[in-house]
Amino acid sequence: MTAYVFTKTLRDQRRALIAWSIGVTALVVVEGALWPSVRDMPNLDEFLAGYPDALKEAFNLAAMTTGTGFLNAELYTLVLPILFLVFGISRGARLVAGEEESGTLEVVLVTPVSTTRLLLEKAAGLLTALCLLGAVAGVSTLIASALFSMGVSPAGAAVGALSMMLLGLEYGFLALAVGAMTGRRSLAVGVPSVAAVAAYVLYVGGLMVDSLSGWLAWSPFHQALSEGPIASGLPFRYAWMVLAAVVVVAVAAPVFARRDIRAT
Amino acid sequence: MHPVVETQGLTKRFGPHLALDGIDLSIAAGEIFGYLGPNGAGKTTTIRILAGLLQPSAGRAAVLGLDVVRQRDLMQARLGYLPGNFVGYDDLSGEQYLRYLANLRGGVEWHVVVTMAKRLDLDLGRRIGVLSHGNRQKVGIVQALMHHPELVILDEPTTGLDPIIQREFLGLLADVRDAGGTVFLSSHILSEVEAVADRVGIIRDGRLVVVESVERLKHRAVRRMDLTFVGAPPLEVLSSVAGVREVTSSGSTAHLAVEGSTAKLLAVAAPHGIEQIVTHEPDLEEIFLAYYERTDRLA
Repeated sequence: MTAYVFTKTLRDQRRALIAWSIGVTALVVVEGALWPSVRDMPNLDEFLAGYPDALKEAFNLAAMTTGTGFLNAELYTLVLPILFLVFGISRGARLVAGEEESGTLEVVLVTPVSTTRLLLEKAAGLLTALCLLGAVAGVSTLIASALFSMGVSPAGAAVGALSMMLLGLEYGFLALAVGAMTGRRSLAVGVPSVAAVAAYVLYVGGLMVDSLSGWLAWSPFHQALSEGPIASGLPFRYAWMVLAAVVVVAVAAPVFARRDIRAT
Repeated sequence: MHPVVETQGLTKRFGPHLALDGIDLSIAAGEIFGYLGPNGAGKTTTIRILAGLLQPSAGRAAVLGLDVVRQRDLMQARLGYLPGNFVGYDDLSGEQYLRYLANLRGGVEWHVVVTMAKRLDLDLGRRIGVLSHGNRQKVGIVQALMHHPELVILDEPTTGLDPIIQREFLGLLADVRDAGGTVFLSSHILSEVEAVADRVGIIRDGRLVVVESVERLKHRAVRRMDLTFVGAPPLEVLSSVAGVREVTSSGSTAHLAVEGSTAKLLAVAAPHGIEQIVTHEPDLEEIFLAYYERTDRLA
């Protein structure tokens, strides 16, 4: 498992990945178990109608009368995005900045492996880990749907899981990139965390305040969450998240190649 | 033929702090070069520039004829490097860690690793996280040497090694030289380097004070000695011996500072009945001072 930086990166994720997979599965299935009792509430529509408009829109509450809508509102618009962000940012920050601060990077860099190749292999490792965690979210959603007759389609679950994975990827790659540019884990965690909160504020603000609504499309949360995320089609908006993830790593590579590596 | 290490006006600033101030250095193939200086003098900064981990602020450095900035990866492929604070992956065994680095480097013969580990008395099967400091250092030494690099750069390599292993390690360095390789090692202790190095460079406050053969350096070194006599110490006799720079006494013990060989001093002192001789390591600071004094006289 340690032939390349890529496989070493995957190996380093294995324990975290197993633990997170168990957590995500448990969360999705437990949430699904609540569905039958919510569905059978006699006056669910009236109850939901009383919520403020912005809240209804942010969590897509109007759709909560279906199993898909319920999962979107209860899991896929806040709790799962936060989990994928935490996973992506915390793992991404470790890859370069964490190794640099602990001192293990020093020897690995004095090999024929270039800084750029190291960065790309680590990015590929994080991408793979997020794909696996995304697959776990998608499969557990289908399992919950089958157990509690929620009627989520396989395509819908796949799109929802992809959206979570892309959110984790964008901010995880940002954490990796900031770490590669600065060598500081605190910044590698802090910058993407602040950026994510700002993007979320922009997303919710855009839904509530008309003057902000023009900026809505820029928020990765809008790109990931609007009209779903468990939805029938694959939105083109997702391409922006992929592009952003690629751009931050591409910007980081030449900076990483030219900066001083911090000594421990 | 290119020098194996060559720097010209190598300068490094960290913000306002000038860490290296115009280092000119040339090391030939097949040489063991000792890089000496007190902590904070700039040894590690020099080494990390040569290893391609820091960018010079001014001047240039070439290793094996390759520019350390523009041809970094080619250079690093032919280099062995032990950092001053070597850290491996705690969750990997010595074998897993070394196999990982061997894969990244390519061209490592595993039996070389096994032989080296045996020589240093290192158990490759244990996790690095549970190893003592000295055993971790051995893992670091093996990874620096396992691919038969043309140049090995070691930053304070003997830290934490017990004397027997230290001797084995110095033997490994001699093997590198005998196979045509070049060794660059730093230390803040002269005795560590003088046992194995051919030439020594001394750095202080970011400046290379002197580059000289070990023989000549030892000749100049000021050693502190304590001679305890049976009776009162013959201070006047002692201070008249050539090379003796300082004599003080407390009770029956004379404290001396001697430059160069101590043979003559001992021959003169012996008839007065010596009870005990204590020799202190030549102090680097004093060697520096000797050089600064000379520089001042010339100026």
